[in-house]
Amino acid sequence: MDANNREIIRVEGLTKCFGRLKVLDNISISFREHEVVSVIGPSGGGKSTFLRCLNLLETPTSGSIFFDGTDICQKKVNINRYRERMGMVFQQFNLFNNMNVMQNLTAAPIKIKRMEPAKAAAKAEELLKRVGLLDKATAYPAQLSGGQKQRIAIVRALMMNPEVMLFDEPTSALDPEMIGEVLEVMKRLAEEGMTMIVVTHEMRFAREVSSRTLFLDGGHVEEDRPSHDLFNSPQSPRLISFLQKVGITAQFGGTSGDVFSAICGMQIPRFTSSKPSEFSFASDEKSIRRPTTSFVRRCLKTPISARTHAAVRGKGVLF
Amino acid sequence: MNLLLSFGQTVQGYWNTIATAIQDFFSQMTFFINVGKTLEKYYGFFLEGTKNTLIIAFFTVLLGTILGVLMAMAKLSGFKPLKWLATAYIEFFRGTPLLVQLMFIFYGLPMIGVKFPDVSFIPDFQRFAAGIVAMSLNSCAYVAEIIRSGIQAVDGGQMEAARSLGFTRGQAMRMVVLPQAVKNILPALGNEFVTIIKESSIVSVIGIADLMYRTNGVKAKNYKTLECLFIAAMIYFIMTFIGGRLIALMERRMNRGRK
Repeated sequence: MDANNREIIRVEGLTKCFGRLKVLDNISISFREHEVVSVIGPSGGGKSTFLRCLNLLETPTSGSIFFDGTDICQKKVNINRYRERMGMVFQQFNLFNNMNVMQNLTAAPIKIKRMEPAKAAAKAEELLKRVGLLDKATAYPAQLSGGQKQRIAIVRALMMNPEVMLFDEPTSALDPEMIGEVLEVMKRLAEEGMTMIVVTHEMRFAREVSSRTLFLDGGHVEEDRPSHDLFNSPQSPRLISFLQKVGITAQFGGTSGDVFSAICGMQIPRFTSSKPSEFSFASDEKSIRRPTTSFVRRCLKTPISARTHAAVRGKGVLF
Repeated sequence: MNLLLSFGQTVQGYWNTIATAIQDFFSQMTFFINVGKTLEKYYGFFLEGTKNTLIIAFFTVLLGTILGVLMAMAKLSGFKPLKWLATAYIEFFRGTPLLVQLMFIFYGLPMIGVKFPDVSFIPDFQRFAAGIVAMSLNSCAYVAEIIRSGIQAVDGGQMEAARSLGFTRGQAMRMVVLPQAVKNILPALGNEFVTIIKESSIVSVIGIADLMYRTNGVKAKNYKTLECLFIAAMIYFIMTFIGGRLIALMERRMNRGRK
């Protein structure tokens, strides 16, 4: 499906410096239609900056970004027309606090696309119904929970019929029980064929919903492969250590410094994905081996605490 | 015997305190009596002075707010020379005393040939105009800073979200940022208005017949300094109190239905 789709975004030589700090270093990459791309990487690696450069919320220091063939970094380009075609969802939701939900959703289509208010309202209602928030149509953002706000933010971006949706860590500011509902909406969007570029720390989403994953570290795209390949056989050493810190510790609930994850990192090439949640995806993977209690005891040569015992068995450990 | 003596001294001590308190009370009574007398005799002067103070304050607030909004827009604009000019203006008018600015304008404007037309209901309009102009220019700088800080206090994500939907900067400001900035601006702006009423007392030094000027005049006639100042203070307090209450009412109306 991938190679036949047209290329919708192409980045060439993108560099972004904040003063003397080079956050993005000569990145060249392209995205095709209907791709769901996850961008993962350590903090400060440039993921969010990269995403924000795509719709010019950050101006690149040098390089070009081609959206559907046009270089949007040129001065004479009316960036607002291109931003209409790219929807963005922020970590902090950024709903307009002075308007209620319906006004939030219909403001842009009415003002920019000159849609009739009745048509815009009807479309907003339909989309709200699909995310299950129709009863909140007249509420103000201050009255909504984080998960509800983020779903409304996604709908607000969808109201403009974008060709690409950009997600900047959409679930990072949410309580764990609300992450599921937002990921559900994103998963359905992906199934419907929306082109999505998602900066995320949710490794399960990255592995199971996105078709392609980028690993960004130090301003470079270290790895750029289909998701299953990247997570099952990571090649670059930085990616391996990153996945250890995020994947393993999320399962066993410890900090990255503990002996346990160091052992597991050395001994076990595979690992299960992130923290338990009621939200489950279909997975076509074979069952993953986890280190057993006896194995760990042999490695440590010491009696292990109840906490470690529980962690080995995969029970969620809350600190 | 000693016990009796000490007891007597204690009683005398208490008696002295009571006597002093009674004496103080009566002397204050005199004070209030004098206040009443002064008011009775000179209420016309005080009324005239209050009227002029209110006129000055009103026009200062009007002009100052309009100019302040323009100045804030200039300071927030992307056009560098305009921004620089606005910053310089604000720094100057916030950095020098109002008295100095007032004298500068009163003595300086006629030198460059600026004369105001005479208005019938205000005598000696030259001074009035100079006073109002000086206070407006000063208050404009403060209002501009209040507006600018109110706008910048709005979360940057609001503007980003609006821009990422495709709104222009102007549309985003009008539809999203400014309505939220107003909530930040109003309390400080209300404060500024109340301050202007008090600051207007300074125009008395160039001879505008406002409340302070009249107070000085009455004081010169009946030599009752404290009583006259007390009357002036009370009148200022009443004006600022009413102003403050009106501002609070407006703020409550603005916040109604939002939380």
